[in-house]
Amino acid sequence: MISNDPGVKSGPGRVLVAVYGVFALAATSRAGVQIATKFSEAPLAYLLSAFAAVVYIVLTVALARGNRGLALAACSVELAGVLIVGTLSIADSQAFPDATVWSDFGSGYGFVPLVLPVIGLFWLLRRRPAS
Amino acid sequence: MTAAYSGWVIAAGIVLALIAVIMAVRDRPMGLVLLAGLALLELALLVQAGFALGGLGHVRDKATFIGYLAGTVIIPPAALWWGTAERTRWGPGVIAVAAFTVAVMTGRLLQIWNGAA
Repeated sequence: MISNDPGVKSGPGRVLVAVYGVFALAATSRAGVQIATKFSEAPLAYLLSAFAAVVYIVLTVALARGNRGLALAACSVELAGVLIVGTLSIADSQAFPDATVWSDFGSGYGFVPLVLPVIGLFWLLRRRPAS
Repeated sequence: MTAAYSGWVIAAGIVLALIAVIMAVRDRPMGLVLLAGLALLELALLVQAGFALGGLGHVRDKATFIGYLAGTVIIPPAALWWGTAERTRWGPGVIAVAAFTVAVMTGRLLQIWNGAA
């Protein structure tokens, strides 16, 4: 694992960090408001909201610091999360009365949450680390 | 907060995002145009935040509203800091993301504002 790989955060990576930063901010604010004001209405959805927020924060920091290994792991969790939550939110809408970032595969955010981890993984795996 | 003023803010955000995208496509680094544009956008957003906070009394979902409001004011300086460090076409790329995000967030602010009116 390379802990500081400048190739991760330069060029297109810089834009990727910006997008992840926006999602970290959006998801954290959303989860914060949901948990602070109406947690009992849908605990599962709101905990998932908070989990998504943590994943986005970890990814933003990992990418910005050039931590390829951590970013890869978080990106995989993000892809799994959006696929699982997206499927569950459609299959069992009772458990998700209020939206999370990942509900309906991120349709509330123009499906960016679904596309983002794919782009992220593509960027991180585009060439193997030199060492 | 008025639809007319916020409409102009949204338009300004989209125009700035487009300029930034054009610069990125033409392989230009950050320049004076984007710096000035971002500064003007930030000024407009601060004025908007002033209007919005002044009429906070009639907003129902205050927490969400303030969250979006804070986001719109914080994002341009953050993008400036992050984008200017990259002396390639990807610097304007960062500005494009920020300007577009601010436009979308202003749209959400307007929805929340109108929903409570």
